[in-house]
Amino acid sequence: MRKNQAKSSNNIFPIKVDKLKKQMESRFENNPDLVFTIYEHQKKKIAVFYIGYLVEPEMVHNYLLKPLLTSDKTWANPDILNDIPLSTGKTKEKLQDILQNILIGEVFIYVEGEPAAVSFILSKKEKRNLTQAETESLVQGPKVAFTESIAINMNIVRWNIHSTDLVLEKIMIGERAPREVRLIYLKSIANETDVNTMRQRLKDLEIDQLEDSSVLMQYIEDSSQTIFPQFYSSELPDRFAYTVTRGRIGVLVENSPTAILAPSTFFSFFESTEDLYMRWNAGTFLRYLRFIAIIISVLLTPLYVAATTFHYEIIPTQELITIGESRAIVPFPPIFEALLLEFIIELLREAGARLPTKIGQTIGIVGGIVIGTAAVQAGITSNFLIILVALSALASFTTPNYMMGTAIRIIRFPMIILAGTLGMIGMMFGVCFLIIHLLKLSSLGRPYLSPVYPFRWEDLNKTLYRLPNSRQNKRFASYRPKDLIRYSKRKASKRKDIDE
Amino acid sequence: MDINVKVKPYLKIQAFYLFFIISSIQLGVGIMGLPRLVFLEAYQDAWISILIALLGILLVVFVMLRILTSYDNADILGIQIDLFGKWLGKIMGTVYIVYFAVTLFSVFITYIEVVKIFIFPELSNFVMGLLLVSLIVYCLLGGLKAIVGTCFIFFFLALWVLFLLIHPAVLLDFTHFQPVFQASFPELLSGARVTAYTFLGFEILFLIYPFIQNKKKVKKPVYFGVTFTALIVLITTVISIGFFSTDQLKNREWVVLNLFKIQSLPFIERFDYIVVAEWMMVVLPNMFLLMWAITYSMKRLYRVPQKITLYATAGLLLIACIFTSDHFLIQKIINTSAQYGFWLVFVYPLLLLPMVWIKKRRGKQKGAGRHSS
Repeated sequence: MRKNQAKSSNNIFPIKVDKLKKQMESRFENNPDLVFTIYEHQKKKIAVFYIGYLVEPEMVHNYLLKPLLTSDKTWANPDILNDIPLSTGKTKEKLQDILQNILIGEVFIYVEGEPAAVSFILSKKEKRNLTQAETESLVQGPKVAFTESIAINMNIVRWNIHSTDLVLEKIMIGERAPREVRLIYLKSIANETDVNTMRQRLKDLEIDQLEDSSVLMQYIEDSSQTIFPQFYSSELPDRFAYTVTRGRIGVLVENSPTAILAPSTFFSFFESTEDLYMRWNAGTFLRYLRFIAIIISVLLTPLYVAATTFHYEIIPTQELITIGESRAIVPFPPIFEALLLEFIIELLREAGARLPTKIGQTIGIVGGIVIGTAAVQAGITSNFLIILVALSALASFTTPNYMMGTAIRIIRFPMIILAGTLGMIGMMFGVCFLIIHLLKLSSLGRPYLSPVYPFRWEDLNKTLYRLPNSRQNKRFASYRPKDLIRYSKRKASKRKDIDE
Repeated sequence: MDINVKVKPYLKIQAFYLFFIISSIQLGVGIMGLPRLVFLEAYQDAWISILIALLGILLVVFVMLRILTSYDNADILGIQIDLFGKWLGKIMGTVYIVYFAVTLFSVFITYIEVVKIFIFPELSNFVMGLLLVSLIVYCLLGGLKAIVGTCFIFFFLALWVLFLLIHPAVLLDFTHFQPVFQASFPELLSGARVTAYTFLGFEILFLIYPFIQNKKKVKKPVYFGVTFTALIVLITTVISIGFFSTDQLKNREWVVLNLFKIQSLPFIERFDYIVVAEWMMVVLPNMFLLMWAITYSMKRLYRVPQKITLYATAGLLLIACIFTSDHFLIQKIINTSAQYGFWLVFVYPLLLLPMVWIKKRRGKQKGAGRHSS
């Protein structure tokens, strides 16, 4: 393989057409899909070769072969580039180039004796249509999601950001099966250090093949030990555009419907673009709802376990009676009871995710109603705990980012174990550990917990709460964008006195 | 060893964090039992003692800042070597390290004891010690920035505990404070002196100063931090005296924690359990900073890598805490730390400043011939 590559990077033209055919065929041994036709036109041999199912046959016929063979010119490379009514013509001299490009659907023409072959892009790509986002759905706002085709994705991005500042750097990743990756940022806003770091990380990547953008994310993240995602992965073009225009970096990967957004803060995983589309006060409310939801999700079941195992005194007497009654017939200690229920909920979620939608719903009903009710009646769990577990599962699904939601659901298990063994102290240990852990993380070299630590007052209105647009005139200062001001504040808010 | 410290720019911290650093290292285990101790000395005039203590601390902080600003970017270890020469300077630096270690240990075991008294009477020291030590090691590995971050975040996460004091504050009996000005001046002073252990910690300024990015803004956060601590101590003392009767106050070891017992909500009856657990967030930054001070000083003085000191100290802490569960032994350690700290933190800087002045003047006279600056 290596030897061949070294050989094929040299210029092989001019070459006899028959010899070229042999060479090409030897490369595509056992692949019957290479179409290699030799035409004789004006006493010159012309070879046209491509992979059958990667090109549009009608286009090849109408726009390439028809003009090529019906005209009575003697063809040479400049003529081909000039007279064929297609705009994507390019000359290629190296065998390696040809092999690479023939695989993405280019059609090559070689006129015997010429110093290079000419290629046209006539690729046909099977792709699905644009659909609604599935993992991150919005009630209000644009619904369309990225697809697997990077060309379509770039098209959508361009339609979202009409700016010549927008840079879409092309980087090929993967040595055996290269895949196109685009580094996207706004030249005049994005922080240069961040862009360089990202570019460096992408270019330094030496892997044989890249599966998906989420895999790429794991390769280039700051810390691979943590459970928290450090880059935001989104399938929403509006989120992508929102993030890039605020001076951050986006990465698109071919054949992947999710884009990577970097750098990201811990808090950005809990903000949805919908917060922007709502009015600021409603948006703030929703954001706080989500923050409270994480706290509930991580701490509610452990609190129950800690209280019922060690600290009965915390629970008021009235409630204690209720809880005691519901726990009276349960034979297990609270920690086991809680772990069991959490496990069942996780099972339901996983089963629902693997099954087709229609069956998934059925599973939800079976799980929720049948197992839940039966478990209480059979005396395996108390119904009080079922409420808490369901509540915390519900809360964990409010996180807009699926990866972060998963992380939070997983954190709950060690928390329950800590609470069941060491009570409140164990829980506190868990919380302290989590906070210290988050403090030590970074995303693309930027602190994960900014703007809370390192503290920046002016950025809080973009993470913890929202303000009316007249006050949101700056970009996220913690990431040091080149241009901090989005619009002049004076124009945005002219204050009037009463009765003017 | 260099007198001035060169700190890499990405390790520096903003000056306003000093407020959180200082108030979180000061507020720790000491405050939990302080009102009783002051009350035993100065009775109902305990609050005056605390105000006197605050004035003393402000003076000491002022002196400390004067000492620090007379150098470019030095910490106490460098200054001592500049003043006393290499050997004596190193010995004084070691005195500081020992002091930090004793204080760290006293905080460590006091919190373990409180947890045992309030929540788990039969919890083994080892388990509790292991929890705390693992957090200390984990955070310390993140460096000073992570430590300052925990100070900052834990400060806000622990602040809500103050709201629990509203209920006892409403029930204050002001007759407990009457008659005012009964305590004699020596009594007030000795009352102020027992606050020493609680107020200890601001000496961290001596070590952390070179890490501050904008040195011109150092003063405000430091003074505010110290005042904030004093204010909290004052509030808790006033509430304790007003809330408990004399006998109750005299017989309760951890008065402040007892205050939280009265507060209850429809869904939580006893807050003291939660507060004692929550107190971990108050105590941890304390221990982080003290541990950092030990490791950093060891590196400065003896070039021992911080990681080695960290693991060694953590191991020693863990072993030592297994054997110290006797209440009177713990009290003895606290008293040692308080005594030691009183002389080292409150008195020593006052002696240091004239020496710095003399040294500077001599240096100027010597250097005047050669150097114009």
